[in-house]
Amino acid sequence: MNVEIAGLTRRFGRNQAVAGVDLEAGPGVFGLLGPNGAGKTSLLRMMATVLPPSSGKMRLLGREPGSYGPRREIRRRLGYLPQNLGYYPSFTVVEFVEYFALLKEMPAARVPAAVAAAIERADLGDKARAKLRTLSGGMLRRVGIAQAIVNDPELLLLDEPTAGLDPEQRVAFRALLRNLGERATVVVSTHLVEDVGAACTEVALMNAGKIVFRGTPEQLTAKGEGHGVGDAPLERGYSAVLTEARS
Amino acid sequence: MTAAGLQKPEPRAEASRPRGLLHHPGLRLVRLHLASRRIPGALAALALCALVLRAGLSWHWSLGNGNGAQQVPVLIEAGAASIIAVTAQSPFGDPERATGRWLPYLRLGTAVGLTAAAFAAMAAGATADHLPGGTLDILRNTAGMTGIGLLLAAVTGGALAWTGPMAYMIVAQIGLIGDWTSPWVWPARPPHDLGAGLCAGLVFAAGIVVATVRGARAVREI
Amino acid sequence: MTLTDALARPRPRDAGHASPMSLWRLLWLELRRNAMPWMFPLLAALFVFDAFRSAMGYGPFWDLRASALENKLLPDFVAFVAGVAAWMGSRDSRRRTRDLVDATARPRWTAQLTTWAATTLWVAAGFLCCVAVLYGVTASQATWGGPPWWPVAVCLAELALMSALGFAVGTFFPSRFTAPLAAVGAFLLSLEGFRNAVGRSSAYALLSPTTYVPDDDTGLFHHYLPDVSIAQLMFLIGLTMVALAILGLRRAADAGPQLRRAAAVIAVAGLAAAGTAIGLIGTARTQAYGTVIPALHDAANDRPIPYTPVCSQAAGVPVCVHPAYRNFLPDVTAALAPVLREIASLPGAPARVDQVVVNDLIPSNGAAITGVPPVFRLPMPATPDETSFGQNAVSFTSYLQATLVTVFVVGAHGFVTLGPVGGTPAQQAVVLALLQKARTATQTGSGPGNGSHTKADQVAAAARRFAALPATTRHAWLAAHLATLRAGDITLAQLP
Repeated sequence: MNVEIAGLTRRFGRNQAVAGVDLEAGPGVFGLLGPNGAGKTSLLRMMATVLPPSSGKMRLLGREPGSYGPRREIRRRLGYLPQNLGYYPSFTVVEFVEYFALLKEMPAARVPAAVAAAIERADLGDKARAKLRTLSGGMLRRVGIAQAIVNDPELLLLDEPTAGLDPEQRVAFRALLRNLGERATVVVSTHLVEDVGAACTEVALMNAGKIVFRGTPEQLTAKGEGHGVGDAPLERGYSAVLTEARS
Repeated sequence: MTAAGLQKPEPRAEASRPRGLLHHPGLRLVRLHLASRRIPGALAALALCALVLRAGLSWHWSLGNGNGAQQVPVLIEAGAASIIAVTAQSPFGDPERATGRWLPYLRLGTAVGLTAAAFAAMAAGATADHLPGGTLDILRNTAGMTGIGLLLAAVTGGALAWTGPMAYMIVAQIGLIGDWTSPWVWPARPPHDLGAGLCAGLVFAAGIVVATVRGARAVREI
Repeated sequence: MTLTDALARPRPRDAGHASPMSLWRLLWLELRRNAMPWMFPLLAALFVFDAFRSAMGYGPFWDLRASALENKLLPDFVAFVAGVAAWMGSRDSRRRTRDLVDATARPRWTAQLTTWAATTLWVAAGFLCCVAVLYGVTASQATWGGPPWWPVAVCLAELALMSALGFAVGTFFPSRFTAPLAAVGAFLLSLEGFRNAVGRSSAYALLSPTTYVPDDDTGLFHHYLPDVSIAQLMFLIGLTMVALAILGLRRAADAGPQLRRAAAVIAVAGLAAAGTAIGLIGTARTQAYGTVIPALHDAANDRPIPYTPVCSQAAGVPVCVHPAYRNFLPDVTAALAPVLREIASLPGAPARVDQVVVNDLIPSNGAAITGVPPVFRLPMPATPDETSFGQNAVSFTSYLQATLVTVFVVGAHGFVTLGPVGGTPAQQAVVLALLQKARTATQTGSGPGNGSHTKADQVAAAARRFAALPATTRHAWLAAHLATLRAGDITLAQLP
């Protein structure tokens, strides 16, 4: 198991963003669904080791991120794309991806090839030398994906990765996710249920800081049978579970 | 189409709007605009400038008498002008520009109001201490350098507009030491010098006009 | 996304470890995308307008010109260095990349130091370009000596400190107001340092790199004493280490035990260096040829620098100056010749003129006529082309002639500033008369003992009478009465 979480909580003042989450995930693509404010981003940030939990246990890639040495090892093997991607406008695409490859302590000799490969996989080959300030929102998102995968991570955390991508790019991105999931644990937090249905082998649904559903997309779809709200089977399953959780 | 929010809550009765002058839409717009430009922070920074000016005058930080005594006040005035210049930066960019007619008035009010606040703060900071050149000097110098900052903000963006008043301040320091007479180096001129006042006023007016009409250039990061 | 690359990729055995090369790559990236070069046009303009213009108004002497680096160029730089460093320090907050960079393996402190280093390297490059221009032009004009490097080192240390302070402030307070406030704060520190140094308010004022302008002949007759520069370097580098270590200690949890220890050690070492410098500066004492700090002093620097003077003739009297003043020898001989002719063959008239070092500790700066045969020892604190000090050929000539005549008639005690102010009324009248004959614009100014305008008028009138005498009469009177006049036993009424 690459991800082992037990009783994880995170509190911001009086707000309990994550209220006791148990989760285990191995190689594969794991979808994280939920409404706004459900705690998905906070959970992802804790898994990215940028936010310490208030309580609970977490093991990532067989290590506990609470102490410096293991945390550093986790980060070397981690790829993270936050929901709000910041960037340095004067950097080029290559420079930005290279910058993060170096921050992830990739061996210098491997960096150029890894950067080139990541940029190609993100379909930004013809924009490699472009400054980030000249790119559209969707391209910036792909730059974010490129920096997340440059070190061939064993644990890849993606928060709203397809925001701004057009349908064709979304299809290609799902294929990339499936490919990455063959040997790494990919956790995708998204609002787009069709992304989850197309790419994820397993999905969890969060509401009010807790996981209220865990299973396969087919199982989530089954939950929605007979439920009227939603244009697609997975949406109906999603809304059915949420309705049940809120009641 | 997202899955979130499919189950909409029942419509509630529209909450009654709070009444009172403070909640007037116009004032609320002004308040929000000021918050977006970090004006409370700017006022705190201007208060800090006033405190430093007070300390500088009380503890005689300046070098000698005559023009040398003006060096620290001119530096503080440049600092105040720099603070005003960086507030010109908008965090919103295009969405704000694509709105109605109020934005230029908001910009105008913010720039003029902050300049007045800077003047008031430093005049208060200099109270009971001998300020070389008096309050007229503060007004002229601060307004003129603010104009420089606002003009530069239209070119480089608000974030780096502080470099304009700082560069001018260095030139002014040279002029103070060298007893220059050019009215374009107004800090080196006596407070009642009409030419210097006109030059500073002209630059201030130009900066205000540009800031009102165009605002600061959209963030062009380095 | 291309599917062609979606092939099973070999999994790395481990994630690899960072190598020193990766730090260099990181530094290279930071250098390429740093904000500091954007300030260069502005700094270049300020350099030309301020430091270079002022320096060219000094005489062509290395240490004098180098003082423009500390007094002019450094203050111009510090404001922008601190502001831009604050800007770079706040980058991750401004650009909202904090989460992204926090999720990487490399300790934040290391990455921050790389950003700071890139900023500082650009600052140093810009500064050194200005130094190169200034020193290059001076090399084409100076006739002796070589470029001093201590001022350059001290300036670079101060710039590194301002960069570190600005960067730290930007990291801790990432607001849009941080950069301008950092710029103002840095310039204020520089201004206050200069004020304290010029006012010589205490020995600790010597810690400020911005200081009073040295004498023209600093480093010519005696070695430049690096004692104060060494203490300044210790102080500035120490504070820089503390500022950078605070960055590391702030992110201690993320830094690992080794880096935490390193940050603590650097902080302590920096404090120790700065504290030691403060202690050393407290022992500084001013000597004739510079400031000495006993613990840092190298006695070898006390030995005069040997040189072969360059000489010419003025009214038959050899006039010798230091080779650094070679280009001014014609001006010196032209100024002294009329006076030497006036006093030729009189008792005590100099048989030779030798330039000596300016001694700030005595009122006459070292001007005197001593020895057998008498030699006029002439200090030259200014040269004719020093427009930065308001000098010109007329004032230079006035100074040389006034110095010689005053020392000849009144003695060394009669010469306090550039203009005769001492001596009895009769002595002053004779001095004025001789200067008038030498066609010098002089002052009839008052001095100690001359309390009234009426007295000055009497002296001036007596001087005119004495000057109006035929040259032979005047010369004969002086030959007969010079000793008595020097002793102060002749009154105004006794002057012919």
